[in-house]
Amino acid sequence: MKKLLLLFMLFPAAAFAADEAHTIVQKGRAFHPGEVNINRGESLTFTNNDDFIHQIYVQATSFAFDSDERNPGQDITETFTTPGTFEVRCHIHPKMRLVVHVK
Amino acid sequence: MKGLAAISISLSLFLTAPLWAQDALFDDMGGQPGINKLVDASVDNYLADPRIKDIFSESNMDRIRAELKDQFCVIAGGPCRYTGHSMEATHKGLHLTNANFNALVEDLQAAMDSCNIPFATQNRFLARLAPMQHQVVTQ
Amino acid sequence: MRPLTRALTLLIGLAAQPAFADDLFDGGKLLATGGVNQVEGAGGGGLANWALITGYGTRDGIGANLHYTAVILPDYSLQSAGAAVGLFDRLELSYAWKGFDTQDVGAALGLGRGYTFHQNIFGAKLKLVGDAVYDQDSWLPQIAIGLQHKENDRGGVIAAIGGKGSVGTDFYLTASKLFLAQSLLVNGALRETKANQFGILGFGGDKHNAYSTQFEGSAAYLFSRRFVMGAELRTKPSNLGIVHEGAAWDLFAAYFLDKHLSLTAAYADLGNIAIRNDQHGAYLSLQAGL
Repeated sequence: MKKLLLLFMLFPAAAFAADEAHTIVQKGRAFHPGEVNINRGESLTFTNNDDFIHQIYVQATSFAFDSDERNPGQDITETFTTPGTFEVRCHIHPKMRLVVHVK
Repeated sequence: MKGLAAISISLSLFLTAPLWAQDALFDDMGGQPGINKLVDASVDNYLADPRIKDIFSESNMDRIRAELKDQFCVIAGGPCRYTGHSMEATHKGLHLTNANFNALVEDLQAAMDSCNIPFATQNRFLARLAPMQHQVVTQ
Repeated sequence: MRPLTRALTLLIGLAAQPAFADDLFDGGKLLATGGVNQVEGAGGGGLANWALITGYGTRDGIGANLHYTAVILPDYSLQSAGAAVGLFDRLELSYAWKGFDTQDVGAALGLGRGYTFHQNIFGAKLKLVGDAVYDQDSWLPQIAIGLQHKENDRGGVIAAIGGKGSVGTDFYLTASKLFLAQSLLVNGALRETKANQFGILGFGGDKHNAYSTQFEGSAAYLFSRRFVMGAELRTKPSNLGIVHEGAAWDLFAAYFLDKHLSLTAAYADLGNIAIRNDQHGAYLSLQAGL
């Protein structure tokens, strides 16, 4: 009985970890961090802490998205549903790159 | 007191009213083809100008050329809609000075010269661009 | 070391650094927007003051220039040389030396042929509001106030002709507006003065010895980035009993080779000067600057 109770207590924690959103900060026309490892199904929240308008896109054969532009102070969240390594870019600032490893 | 407030408000509106007349500036600049040629020539000048070229080092130049072609069309009174962001929002992070702004104007003047736009016409166009200094220059 | 001495040493040391000097003399204003030097040395046209601050320094820097002017009239000649500096597109300081050669009139007046009056003129101008170039979306002109303090060296002669003083200060309020869409620059100023012949013949007189309000103005058309033509008018008081003094006007052309050199030529009518009427002739001025 005790073992079952313990299992029930651990389960919500595990479920919470599976949905946890990682935060990527856009600042100085760069992504911080510049590289991240996540699990398939997890999402990244991009926070614009910069003095510039940004947007994000990925253009790969297995996975793609193209977001709206976001003003300083705004957020956008993107879920990565496909495993692989992807480069998140900004169409306003071509030098911005975030490498996302999705397991 | 109310009368004084009314007069002050009217006076300040009068002092800030736009002076542009609706005229044929768009045609005088060669329509959209003329404006496209001007934007390409001026952007080439910006990128070759040691005073300001670094300002564009992180920018998507194809995107900027396209937006300028739209924006110049609107400013010249052409049949376009500018769908970009405000001058303030797009330039805020660059901390531009009057010297930066004036260097860009000089490069634009040189491009207008190379596009054979008459001086008087150049000034009509610049008169509409000049007030952008208020939103673009933050430093 | 006293704090002031320490601060000055630091400033001189900084100014001597080439990079700092480059940044300070930013040469960032558009061509011709510093004006040339008017006859008392301030930034402006030939006769009339403008509200523009001399030099090519933007509000983040400074600009400086030297000028030399010669005016050749039927019976007199006038030479002027000076320096002006524009600080942060806000404050202008100027110095001009003026020599007024009476030539043959000097002999006629018993002073001796080629008798010359000299003046030192110290000027300051402060921009109050507006920007003549950028404010194309507003009726507000660029407005500045200023003063010109003038000292003459011929006190005795000035007294003999009825002048009340050989030192005087003019105060002025000036406004400038560039109607860029019309390629037109318009300037106007009100000047409080007691000066006789711009101060060459002293200040105040036996006929009138108080400040009076005078007007000066100009309009110029921009033919190209480098070439401007226009006209100026300047009214003057008539304080001396022995001469009637009227307004002066000119038609001018200014050529700006680049941000370092400009040449202004004008046909000027300075009206009556001392005992000779119809003093109209050539005005030539050269400005060189950083």
